[in-house]
Amino acid sequence: MSQASSQPDLASIRQDWVGVEFDWATFEMKPDEMIAWAEACGEKDPRFIDQEHSDFQAHPGFTTHCMSGRVFPENFPQIGGGFGIDGGKRVEVHAPIRAGDTLTATTTIADIFDKTGRSGTMIFIVQRMEFRNDDSELVSTVDWKMIKRAE
Amino acid sequence: MSMSAISSFDDVELGDELPTETPDVSMEQVTRFCHSAKHLFERFTDHDAARKEGFPGAIVPGIMSQGLLAAMIHKWAPGCNIMSIDTVFRGSLLVDSNITMTGAVTDTDDDEMTAELDLSIIAEDGRTGVIGTAKVQFLS
Repeated sequence: MSQASSQPDLASIRQDWVGVEFDWATFEMKPDEMIAWAEACGEKDPRFIDQEHSDFQAHPGFTTHCMSGRVFPENFPQIGGGFGIDGGKRVEVHAPIRAGDTLTATTTIADIFDKTGRSGTMIFIVQRMEFRNDDSELVSTVDWKMIKRAE
Repeated sequence: MSMSAISSFDDVELGDELPTETPDVSMEQVTRFCHSAKHLFERFTDHDAARKEGFPGAIVPGIMSQGLLAAMIHKWAPGCNIMSIDTVFRGSLLVDSNITMTGAVTDTDDDEMTAELDLSIIAEDGRTGVIGTAKVQFLS
C-alpha cells in the first residue's frame, strides 16, 4: 500500500471525514417487494418467499437497494478521478427484517484508504448505511466500497 | 464434497464444496430483479443501451449477484442464517449468459456453530466476475 505524492493527504481526509454522519432516510419493508427480490435471486427457502411462513423475513441483502439520498457529505473533498465504480458490498445481518417494518437508515463515511497495484493507485471510499427497525434495533449494516482512480 | 443439503452444523466439514449452481440471469429474470430493487437502469435491462455505455451487453446488477449467492447458500444449508456476506465485483457478468457459482467452507467454529465460506461467480468466458465471503450460523 502506498500513496502517490500528487494525491491529497488521505490521512488528513480520513481524520476529518471518517465517522461523519451525513444522510438519513426511511424505507418501508413491503412483503411483495421482499418476495419479488428473493424469487428473482432464485431463492427457494420459504422464510423469504412465503409471506405466511412464521419466520418470514427479507433476504439478507435486501437493504442493499435502499439508496442513500447523497453519495458524499456536503463539502466532501474531491478525491481521485471520475465518479468511481462500485467495488462491492458487505452486508451484516443483525436481526431479521420483517414485513411492515419501517427502517430508519443513517449513512456515514466508514473508511477511506488507498491501494497500489499493477494498474496504479486506487482510492477506496466506504459508505456505511445502518438500518434500524421500529424498535430502534439495528437490523442491517451495508458497507458500499466505491473505487476511484488516483489522479 | 457434500452434494446433499446440509441439515445441521454437524454435517459441515472444513473444505466442503457447495454444489455448483448455474443461476438464471436471463433478461426476464434480471428485469424482474431490477423492478423489485427499483434499480431500473438500461445497462441492466437493455443490451443495446448497455453497449452504448461501453459494456459488451446488459450486465447483471452487483446486488443481484450477491442475492444469487445468498440463495445458493440457503439451498446448500436450508434454515441456516447468513450473518454476513461480502462480495467484491471484479468484472461484468452478462445478462443472458451462463454463469457458474461456487462456494467452499474455509473455517468452522464449533462453539458458535458457524461456518465461513469462500464464494465466487465465474462468467461464461471463464473470467471471475464476483468473489466473496460469507459467515453462516446453524441453529442445530
